[in-house]
Amino acid sequence: MKLNRIWAMLLKFWYITINRPDRIFDIIYWPVIDLFVWGFASVFIQQVSDVSFLSMFLGGIVLWIFVWRSSQDIAVYVLEDFWGRNLYHQFSSPITLTEHMFSVMLFAFFRSICTFVVLTILAFIMYRFFIFSIAPFIFIAASIAILSLFGWAMGLFVTSLVLRFGQRIQVLAWSSVWIVQPFSCVFYPLSALPTWAVPVAKVLPTTYVFEGLRAIINGNLVNISSLLYSLVLTLIFLVLTSFLIRIAFKHAKSSGLLARGD
Amino acid sequence: MNPIVVKSLKKYFKEKGKTIKAVDNVSFSVKKGEIFGLLGPNGAGKSTTINILTGLLSRDSGSIQILGYEPEENWDYVKNKVNVSTAYYPVTEVLTVKQNLKVYGHLYNVKNLKARINELLSQFELNKISNRKVIKCSTGERTRISLCKGLINNPEVLFLDESTSGLDPDIAEKTRTLIKEYQEKNNTTILFTSHYMYEVEELCKRIAFMSDGKILTIGTSDELKKLIKDQTIEIKVIKNHKDLKKLLKDEGVDILFTEKNTIIFQVTKGSNKTYEILNKIFKAGFKLSHLHINKPTLDDIFIKIARKK
Repeated sequence: MKLNRIWAMLLKFWYITINRPDRIFDIIYWPVIDLFVWGFASVFIQQVSDVSFLSMFLGGIVLWIFVWRSSQDIAVYVLEDFWGRNLYHQFSSPITLTEHMFSVMLFAFFRSICTFVVLTILAFIMYRFFIFSIAPFIFIAASIAILSLFGWAMGLFVTSLVLRFGQRIQVLAWSSVWIVQPFSCVFYPLSALPTWAVPVAKVLPTTYVFEGLRAIINGNLVNISSLLYSLVLTLIFLVLTSFLIRIAFKHAKSSGLLARGD
Repeated sequence: MNPIVVKSLKKYFKEKGKTIKAVDNVSFSVKKGEIFGLLGPNGAGKSTTINILTGLLSRDSGSIQILGYEPEENWDYVKNKVNVSTAYYPVTEVLTVKQNLKVYGHLYNVKNLKARINELLSQFELNKISNRKVIKCSTGERTRISLCKGLINNPEVLFLDESTSGLDPDIAEKTRTLIKEYQEKNNTTILFTSHYMYEVEELCKRIAFMSDGKILTIGTSDELKKLIKDQTIEIKVIKNHKDLKKLLKDEGVDILFTEKNTIIFQVTKGSNKTYEILNKIFKAGFKLSHLHINKPTLDDIFIKIARKK
């Protein structure tokens, strides 16, 4: 990997972001809406219950950002090249697929951090909720790492499909992450899921992060082995999707999709 | 060592159960500092060939060498010394001209990038619009932007795929001059595709005619013109137009066009037929107001190939 090329791609994504208001707007719009809806709902529920719903819901919203942003940004910034028919110039340049994907992952992480900072500040102003006060810093940092890595894996998966089937499946770029969310137990415990959904939830690394968060909020210790298991699952997903995108890229080169960019 | 060597290149696509031979056993090489033209009708395989050479498309078989390397062995080296410009695929449209050049400059690891960008912007008269988004630029401006991007790394090998397509004659002429000047100054090897024959004739030392994925012939413009065995003669007579038409028919001449007093006919080049026919016309007492013997052009060859004659 060459740093100049990664820098070039980061520069490009940065320019796209500052040149397009919708790209700035989407950093905060949906997360802030979520913060309002779930925040007010949990304030209400907390008035009639002893359970710390506010911390669970807001903690879930703030951390979910990393899965959502990472996954969607990777797919959307690659789709942007399809829409602008820009793959031609990009991949006739010296950049490699690995460098391209690594850059878009880094940029997605940067945007996740921006959203995270905005939500953390807003949550504190509105609900006196501070994410770092409900769980140890090390747990939050590990959770962010796992969720971002899993988001990248999801993003690579959707990008593979786009490279294989073209723009006709672009809707997955926005929707795929929301298919995973109900099984990730972001706002409720694993025990709340119906029996048939439990095996699905157990293969998702996200489940262990949010279960861990709830355990800490309820006064239990951080389950290190559970987090490690989650990390291993995430790395397996990442390796599998990395293979998948290589195959899809090879197919795109062979079918002419890369040259045509449609 | 020739900077571009292509041997027995093949690329087939499958579409609805049919095999389309996009590039079928193509071989050619381009010498250092040469502008080599790939000509042919739409679907001839020109762009497919360039896409393979730029690494955007994988080949089924055959070998390619760019700057002495099989590109797959060392894409990194090759791609840093090569670039491409086309009118069909824009650079990132939501970025400004300058932002695009910055991004591509970093991608190609250009030294003194700021100076290089300024040099290109003034060379291609894009200074005034350097902060304009590409999407707001005219077709001519976009073409020049694409050329700037193609030259950002001072490439040793440049692929120009229909890079002047859609330009008005004035801008197209300016663009050709820029390409020519740049090529002469830097001794760049250029593989050039175009639909405009005069453009190819003006720029290219050698030309390969492609059709249905195959190279039909390679040569200089003069060598190619010699392939046309016929020449056309255009005559305008003051009167007795019908009698002249009859005379030509009796002589077994191939009449291409008649209208009012004008007749265009075709005779085999290099034979005495032209002299004989004209001699008979004069001896028969026809008074001519116009006589023009057309030399064959690359257009004639292009049309013949496109019509599969």
